[in-house]
Amino acid sequence: MEERGQGQGWMEERGQAHGQGWMPELRAGRPAVRGAGRPAVRGGGWKALLWLVVAALPLPCQGQAPLQSPQDIQVCVVNTNFTLRWSHPGAEPGLTFSAEYKWSEGSGTGWQELPGCRNVPGPECDFSSAVSEYYDTHWVRVRAQRGEQVSPWSRVLEMVPDHEAQIGPPGMELQPTNGDIKIKISPPEANQGKKMWLNDLSFKYNLVFWENSSNSQPRSKNIFPVDTVGDLAPDTTYCFKVQANLPTEGKEGLFSPVRCLKTTQKAVNDLLCATNLRVLGLNMEFHLHWDNQYEQPVSYNVQYLIGYLKRLNEDYSGKWVGVPGCGNVTGTRCNVSSAITTTGFYYLRVQARAGLNRSCLSTEVKVDPLRTNEICPPGVKVDISDTLLHIQISPPGGPEGEVMRNNYVLSYRILYWRNSSSDEEEAKVKETKQTVATIPDLAPQTLYCVKAQAFSEAYNKSSVYSQEECIQTPGAKAFPLVILATFMAALFAVLLVALPLVFVLYQAYSKIKYVFFPSCQPPLNIEGFGGQLCTSPYLPTPEEPVENYSIIDSMITYEGNQMDCKDYKHSKQSSRDSGNYSNDDNTSGSKGSAETLGKEIV
Amino acid sequence: MMNENFFYRIIKFQDFEETGAYECLQSILTHLRIYTQERRNIRACCIMNAFGLIQIGLILLCTTIICNHQCNHLLLQQRKMIENSLQLLDKMGKNFPQRCLREKMSFRFPKQVLQPRQKETVRIAIEEIFQHIFYIFSKNLTLAAWDGTALDQFQNGLYQQIEQLEACVIKKHTHYCWSKEVSRLKLKKYFQKIDCFLKDKQHNLCSWEISRAEMRRCLQLIDKVTRKLNN
Repeated sequence: MEERGQGQGWMEERGQAHGQGWMPELRAGRPAVRGAGRPAVRGGGWKALLWLVVAALPLPCQGQAPLQSPQDIQVCVVNTNFTLRWSHPGAEPGLTFSAEYKWSEGSGTGWQELPGCRNVPGPECDFSSAVSEYYDTHWVRVRAQRGEQVSPWSRVLEMVPDHEAQIGPPGMELQPTNGDIKIKISPPEANQGKKMWLNDLSFKYNLVFWENSSNSQPRSKNIFPVDTVGDLAPDTTYCFKVQANLPTEGKEGLFSPVRCLKTTQKAVNDLLCATNLRVLGLNMEFHLHWDNQYEQPVSYNVQYLIGYLKRLNEDYSGKWVGVPGCGNVTGTRCNVSSAITTTGFYYLRVQARAGLNRSCLSTEVKVDPLRTNEICPPGVKVDISDTLLHIQISPPGGPEGEVMRNNYVLSYRILYWRNSSSDEEEAKVKETKQTVATIPDLAPQTLYCVKAQAFSEAYNKSSVYSQEECIQTPGAKAFPLVILATFMAALFAVLLVALPLVFVLYQAYSKIKYVFFPSCQPPLNIEGFGGQLCTSPYLPTPEEPVENYSIIDSMITYEGNQMDCKDYKHSKQSSRDSGNYSNDDNTSGSKGSAETLGKEIV
Repeated sequence: MMNENFFYRIIKFQDFEETGAYECLQSILTHLRIYTQERRNIRACCIMNAFGLIQIGLILLCTTIICNHQCNHLLLQQRKMIENSLQLLDKMGKNFPQRCLREKMSFRFPKQVLQPRQKETVRIAIEEIFQHIFYIFSKNLTLAAWDGTALDQFQNGLYQQIEQLEACVIKKHTHYCWSKEVSRLKLKKYFQKIDCFLKDKQHNLCSWEISRAEMRRCLQLIDKVTRKLNN
């Protein structure tokens, strides 16, 4: 059926001098087709068959001009309104058109009649009721009808409703307030049951406005669904129109009808309002600062709005919340950290109150926490061991700053250089994600200085550098020298202490030995000599030569505990002898001979 | 032996030539499949041969797309933000209630939409997914009874990511080609299915919990893709 239709189409093309390589053959073959023969057309046997079929068709309608099929099939879709348009070369009255459609996910029944496009006269028809699935492919074709005669089907138009659809105009409400214009936009399919654009929060609204005078340039601005247009001249008429766009699909919607209105005068409450709002953040502690131009005392109340609420289609003016701790401020700054977390944007504004009934709301300021915040420098500690420099970084923010560090994905940049007065050396850089770093291969006996900064690659933010920490590296040959020096010192100390100690101990020992354990013993039969004992054996007598006495002394043997001096003939001698007891050298040497001598004398 | 249909296609291709994205080729191939299904004749084969040559030309054009420089940091920031979003999504409510298991439906998220063929297209895909999630969680939440603060922060985080992505992807031809992407329609159908599911169940607790679990799966997939793109 389709092929036949195509064949018919080609016939028409030929008639209107369309087509290409067909033409000479067609012209050549035409008269012959009416007859029995078939032209030997280039391209194969199926074309011959086609011609056979083609030739057969006009026979019943001989005498009547064949009906042409509609051309330039188009579909125009705005939101969920589907319009089929075509053109027909013969503009005859009594000509009606019918359309058929097919749907890719349909029940496989093939071509169905298109509701809303049955026997319509005009060059267009509305078939919105036929389409329910906007993401499926649909095929449409049209043909003309005159009484019993029908034209061949037009070429098939394939379309996906979502692709073809255009965004309709949004609704717009304007309200002049205090020199500005408050705008409320309703999305294109605001109250419809069936929507083409399911996600009405994804629209971006483009407002175009201009002054209603002769040569004014239109200004264009992206606005939220509920927004205020400021910076307008008071008591002037402005005209507005808005379109809804879907950037992700590259679609721009139709403009709403133009509306013009006049702005009002600006109220004179200005001095009371807080101006020049700015937010400063350090280590995720945010402070809002503003300026005050009012002479009398004013009390301020800081409010915040969570950013995403502006994207919703509802009015967010009731959603402003007071920042805890900034309810009744008399200064011009307040700590707003309790309201601002790391996720998303926030808006801040200040309400100034003076007296009982005068209040003013400042303009809003938008805060992007992670971009506004400044990072404090980290702490740095250095330590030296051999030729390694150990650097310990304490991250900014301390234990509470964990969230900040996580979100920024902080890394650290360490700068170290040789602080010598002679040559200015370039500082070297080391980057690390850890909080400890080691720098090897340092030159000995030099002063090294270190400072560090924290930076976030993701947000392209870096803190200032920390304080410098300097440390001296020890000398190079110091190591073996230290060992030697330590050894010598230890040896010295040992000798210094040990030698006198040994000496003292020896002296004490000999004294004790002399007193309590004398080597000179008196003979065993000392009582037989008249009881002349050596009572004070310690008295020295220089008269007699020492040698004789030493021999006699040596006869005395150490036996038992008795310090006996040998008292032979001279009691005086004995006393003298005793004096020589301390002469250790002789006693031990001549002990043996003394004994024998002693025996002879006795 | 050419007919109007072929001319129609040629004209469309001339439009694509100026924009020149790889995704256009996909849509061209899809169009071609539909064409041969319908026609099943030699004409389609001839057209495909001609298109083959045009495809090669378009591939050469496609490789000259330059990434927007100011958005280099965006992927780094996004990784953290998506992690935060997942945490907030968990924080919002309690564990999945057992009684809701029997109402569970399979939604079949079209994973091919996140295949990282080209960074730009994946960015737009992620932006569109975020916009849909943002829309779903924006209303009729009373029966879900979730933690309001966590929900606010979650929405706020999504909104910030959407704004940043919007600022980044401004190339018109990328949008145009993305709009012709076949898997994009599957993505839209997926979210339409979830929306219908919620409406049918009148946004009761179980339907919300099932949707929340589904969105969690979505975000995890995006997290994976973002990590892959980062490395």
